[in-house]
Amino acid sequence: MKTSTYLRRYWQLYFLLILPLAYFAIFKYGPMYGVQIAFKDFNFFQGINGSEWIGWDGFREVFQNQDFYRTLRNTLMLNILDLIVSFPAPLILAIMLYEVKTVWFKKLSQTILYIPHFISWVIIGGIVYQVFGTQSGFINNLWVSMGFQPIPFLTDPNYWLITYLLTGVWQSAGWGTILYLAALTGINRELYEAAEVDGATRMRRIWHITLPGLRPTIITLLIINLGNMVTIGFERPYVIGNVAVQEYSDVLSTFVYRIGLESGQYTLATVVGLFQAIVGLIFVLGANFAAKKTTGEGIL
Amino acid sequence: MAEAARVNETDRIKVKPNVSRSDRVFDIVNMTLIAVSVLICIFPFIHVLAISLSSSRPIMSGEVTLFPKEFTIEAYVKVFSDPSMIRSLGFTVMLTAVFTLFCMVMTIAAAYPLSKSNLKGRGFFMVVIIITMFFSGGIIPEYILVRNLHLLDTMWALVLPGLISPFYLIIMISFFKGIPDSLEEAAEIDGSSHFRTLLRIILPLSMPVIATLSLFYAVGRWNGFMDTLMYINSPELYPLQLKLYQLIQNNMATELMRNEVAGTANMMPESLKAASVIFATVPILIVYPWLQRYFVSGVMLGAVKG
Amino acid sequence: MNKGVGTMKLVSGKTWFKGWSGIMLATVLAGTTVLAGCSSSGSEAGATTADGKSVLKVEVFDRGNSPAGSTISDNYMTKLVNERFGEPNKIDVQYVPIPRSEELQKLNVLMASGGDVPDIVFTYDQGTFNRYAQQGGLTDLTDLLNQYGPNLKKFLGEDTLSYGQIEGKQFAIPGKRSVLGKYASYIRQDWLDALKLPVPQTTDELYTTLKAFKEKDPGKVGSGLIPFGMTIAPAQYEPLLWSFVQQPLTDEQKYTLTQKLGSSDYPTLLPGFKDGLKFMNKLYNEGMISRDFGLDEDKKQLWQDVQNGKVGFYTEDAGELYFTYNGTYKNLQANVKDAKLTPADVFTNNEGKHAKPEYASNGLYIMIPKSSSKAVEAIKYLDWMASGKNLFDMQNGVEGENYTLKDGVPVAKENASTEAQNRLYNYGDMAIIANGKVAGTEEQNNDAYIMQVPEEYQAAMRKSVEISNTDTIPPVNFNKPIEAEAKYGSALQDKYSQLIVKATMAPTAQFDTTYDALLKDYMSSGGQAILDERTKVFQEGGANK
Repeated sequence: MKTSTYLRRYWQLYFLLILPLAYFAIFKYGPMYGVQIAFKDFNFFQGINGSEWIGWDGFREVFQNQDFYRTLRNTLMLNILDLIVSFPAPLILAIMLYEVKTVWFKKLSQTILYIPHFISWVIIGGIVYQVFGTQSGFINNLWVSMGFQPIPFLTDPNYWLITYLLTGVWQSAGWGTILYLAALTGINRELYEAAEVDGATRMRRIWHITLPGLRPTIITLLIINLGNMVTIGFERPYVIGNVAVQEYSDVLSTFVYRIGLESGQYTLATVVGLFQAIVGLIFVLGANFAAKKTTGEGIL
Repeated sequence: MAEAARVNETDRIKVKPNVSRSDRVFDIVNMTLIAVSVLICIFPFIHVLAISLSSSRPIMSGEVTLFPKEFTIEAYVKVFSDPSMIRSLGFTVMLTAVFTLFCMVMTIAAAYPLSKSNLKGRGFFMVVIIITMFFSGGIIPEYILVRNLHLLDTMWALVLPGLISPFYLIIMISFFKGIPDSLEEAAEIDGSSHFRTLLRIILPLSMPVIATLSLFYAVGRWNGFMDTLMYINSPELYPLQLKLYQLIQNNMATELMRNEVAGTANMMPESLKAASVIFATVPILIVYPWLQRYFVSGVMLGAVKG
Repeated sequence: MNKGVGTMKLVSGKTWFKGWSGIMLATVLAGTTVLAGCSSSGSEAGATTADGKSVLKVEVFDRGNSPAGSTISDNYMTKLVNERFGEPNKIDVQYVPIPRSEELQKLNVLMASGGDVPDIVFTYDQGTFNRYAQQGGLTDLTDLLNQYGPNLKKFLGEDTLSYGQIEGKQFAIPGKRSVLGKYASYIRQDWLDALKLPVPQTTDELYTTLKAFKEKDPGKVGSGLIPFGMTIAPAQYEPLLWSFVQQPLTDEQKYTLTQKLGSSDYPTLLPGFKDGLKFMNKLYNEGMISRDFGLDEDKKQLWQDVQNGKVGFYTEDAGELYFTYNGTYKNLQANVKDAKLTPADVFTNNEGKHAKPEYASNGLYIMIPKSSSKAVEAIKYLDWMASGKNLFDMQNGVEGENYTLKDGVPVAKENASTEAQNRLYNYGDMAIIANGKVAGTEEQNNDAYIMQVPEEYQAAMRKSVEISNTDTIPPVNFNKPIEAEAKYGSALQDKYSQLIVKATMAPTAQFDTTYDALLKDYMSSGGQAILDERTKVFQEGGANK
């Protein structure tokens, strides 16, 4: 097709893109010059452009820091566990909700299940303590009254992982169902009726109709998740973590917080950020490539 | 459109297929599991509610779990009689509404062209957008940008920098891609312009995802306050969550505050914090039940038939 | 648009794509450079108001607790300042709120972005002050202080001022801390009475008493009994650990083996520190101290346990439990009839003294950025605050409404009206040159501090303050910042807490290996670097004695 014909036919599409692209150019790429802090000895009063270039010194310093490797390892570990445990949770919950026929029950539970998403981590931290503490925690009180030894949910690193994961599931599963439930509206109900006539069991129907219907959504979310393998929120490990389990709960975001904000080493903080960005981009492009090869779907 | 959907929904309920025994077992197990999850999820909310309705002594002594002790509504009286809280609520609602509207317009405008796999330059645009998911200039240049655009201490500082979330954009694109091409082709043959196709065909078919993403943007704006901390100085422009955050965070004994002299920090009673949490959370919580009407099945089906 | 592309002679799809990429890239790059270009401009130097007053911008912490009807930048206190200082001097004092919890973040961004920085900024964080000073961002106030701040200088005194000096130059005005005592211990008198035991006076006696609490459970608490309440906040473990430091220390030991992380001195390398931890380990393994103490960073659990009458003994910021906002003691007495906590001084060191740390004599670091053109006005403002009754009025409000005078010491009125109370809601953040109430002499300051608690607790409060001032170990100081401390300080604070928690919780037999492993980690994470630098600076004669 000749360019002029092509444009005559599609100019409206490009027109729609003008504002969004301007947005990305101004608000996202505009401040991007800040990345150079990673290569400069950042001085607050010289500003970003006025600070001195130091080349790769910042990278060298980060890569020589033993805490960097420890926090990177923990970040990967927590994210991988989350991918195994917390990623499927909203999917399963959404399918369960989808199977509910009683409308009021369905709507009510959906509304309640997503409440934890709105409770701030500070408050969750207090509640976690009350539920899982060894001395006065709700679960351990019950457990001890049955004659067992208290379980160190919060102070033993391995038990702490369980607490961390469960809290994550609890906090995000209900919220995560919303997207799947939206995707499920796209499935043709007639398919189910036909399957039922054929005598397919509920499980089979879920497996052969519901899941394939959700496949694009699952793949999209999975790719994005993989892209975020080396990034991790600050609050959850920080609030649920404590000194006793720091060997697991200390992650890249807390590391960056310490060196960046508390110690004022913006250069090092930016280096870590740049490292995370590069790895993230590689992961997301890789995951997208793999997904395209195997399932024919991707985000690009 | 919505009517077609509703008809479909009622159809589905009326036509009860013969229920087998294994089906019934499945339903019971399923609903029980959901009910248990519901209880676990509502627990903290009830806990906060109970604290908001209790007196200070039982709260400080850790006696309040699920039911208020030494019941009092004093905290709510205080919250509701504080004009800055009410004004803040009004501002937050407006901010959230404006933000969501702008975000949705921008996201849809970007998603529709980018959902066309034959659009030239699409791959490039996508990469440009995805890069921004990972790379950012950092807080200092972002502040300088907002200042240079003269947005500091205005509502727009809280709207413009967050207009398009690449993640939500990708979700929108993936939903648009799921709409059968045949529908659009038919429209195109009828001589419909792209604008028209988007407005008349694509958008009505995408109500569930539009509702979902609106909710995501709205909740993100409602709960977000980190940008407010940086960009806003005037108390009139404090969103509710910022006030809430200050109430909760500023009273915590952190390392930074250890040097402050005892007695200077004006500590807020726990019940007041809890009441403020309820006050700031309930308005956004009720948005979802209201949006659920767009989550009905068979939207697509109804449209194809109609 | 159509035309624009056409003129670029892009025919085939492939090149066309490249062209578009080019345009996009160019736009992006152009946007970037344009925006980067204006980054350093935009500060409004020397702003004045319409009526010709010059504007002085002063930072104020916003804790989100402004009472109804006033805001953080417009309230009784800001009006007082503008009336008494602003009017006569033709200066409009404006307050720039900085959220308390994100204070450093915001201050850093304001400093780095060049514009909008208030003329007076402050922080409690010594590292931030050092950084700003070393990077050349602060006004040297040495001469200005002599010229415009005679009252201020007299008020603060040499010792406090030295905290704001770096190699002889005054880069910050430190606030003056009026009450230096930190900690006191509290023990359940009713339990002691039930067991017919005296108030313990030494560490050994304390151990016997705790054991008796544990075995005999005089309060009938049952399984929740905590003889020794502990948390991972300094107030609970510092008095114990510091009392184990082997005295006397040589100057060299004192200056080189102490580690200053954040704003406090840590005894990590001082002789005897390990024995202190060993004692904690013993107590823990014998079930004497709170089992979950490693989780309790904000003391919330401890306070709950104390209020519920589960705790026999604990150490705390002196008098904390008597303040109305805390309510620990009041609630304890409501929850457990006849419960009585007595202030005590128990931890003895090898010299038989009740050694415990005290505060440095400074509070906030008040700084004037180099970019400010109002340094003179700023010093005048601070000097104004230090002169006459200004500070007193800012801290105490209106006589007869907020307080009454008793021997020259203000006594807060217990039933002051809400309006009166609201006047003072953030006096600590406004009266920045003082940390704690200032009434006159040291004794009067202590009195003023004591009078802040309800009358029925004032006797116990007095005892607490007395204890906190007994045999104190003052912090040690160098005349220039230790760079390694700024760099590794926050990471080491975590390592230090980890050391305490893990070494305390280790089974007795594994105490030594746990301690050694953690100390090694501590040293390699910056502890050694700090030690080396302190030794070097000490040898160069940099100790402030």
